[in-house]
Amino acid sequence: MTVEPASEAEAAFEYDESAIGVDVDVGSFEITREQIEAYCEAVDETNPLYTDEAYAQNSPHGTIIAPPGMLHTMPLSQGLDPKLQVHFKSTSFHAGQGMEIFGPIREGDSIQARSQVKEIYEKTGRTGRMVFVVRRISYVNQDDAVVAAIEHSFVNREMGTR
Amino acid sequence: MTTIDFQIRYFEDVDPADEFEEAAQPTTDSVIGWLTVDAPRRGWTGEGDEQPDLPRTRFIDAELALEQGLPGAIVPGAMSMAILTKLVTNWMGPTGKLRSIEVDFRRLVLHEDSLRCIGLVTDTLEEDGASIVKLDVYMENERGERPLQGTASVELPHRPE
Repeated sequence: MTVEPASEAEAAFEYDESAIGVDVDVGSFEITREQIEAYCEAVDETNPLYTDEAYAQNSPHGTIIAPPGMLHTMPLSQGLDPKLQVHFKSTSFHAGQGMEIFGPIREGDSIQARSQVKEIYEKTGRTGRMVFVVRRISYVNQDDAVVAAIEHSFVNREMGTR
Repeated sequence: MTTIDFQIRYFEDVDPADEFEEAAQPTTDSVIGWLTVDAPRRGWTGEGDEQPDLPRTRFIDAELALEQGLPGAIVPGAMSMAILTKLVTNWMGPTGKLRSIEVDFRRLVLHEDSLRCIGLVTDTLEEDGASIVKLDVYMENERGERPLQGTASVELPHRPE
């Protein structure tokens, strides 16, 4: 057993605490047929609810709906705001992601996205110190219905260390 | 393109330990497609127009990925999750409702990886008047790793009497 020597990495990470829990408008977008088609091609999606108009018209939704994963591809005007200004010598990776779906997203819907930083915490694992940032983005349609929420966790970790 | 067997799946026909799977192989082209889903709105049709400028990222630029200590260009986590989500939405049929899915990203997914997307029924239950199926979902690559592992919750209809 060896004890890891203290290093620069021992320095506490810093971030802007006032950004936690604050809802920030991160933009709105329309769900278009072109986007649905481009998405379906990218992930080889053949589900007729998303790809076949005649089939979709006879489905419970009555029209083509967007695959839930498509929300991930929509640009948010301010990226991953609110910005936390995390200062930690590291590279950022996607650690995990969850999605809740509350209702269908239809072609032509106008979706508003709101984001908040839910929590930020530090963990020490096999590969060293890591800082996790968890954000939650809620998606609201033109009828004020929350149709989905995505929570994702990014890990800031040092590269090249064990 | 693969076609899917798109039958209504009834709650009564699902049992714990049922397993289902699909294959996937994300290519560099499909990653570019993923990153440019929103391109039509910006006026790019892909036919004769110039491709939109994509930022140089570890998702499409193998050289940059190598500089960052990665073995090659990687598939965006959200795209891998979308591929795993498709496994579930294909399985549940036209009247199933995906309520939630969550995954941990444990290993990298590289371009051209041969992936098995696997779903396993872990529980079937009635919850607030809805019939719910709980699933474990994961991906396996040809290196024997499970880059994504998670769970999903699906609501299925009852078979009409």
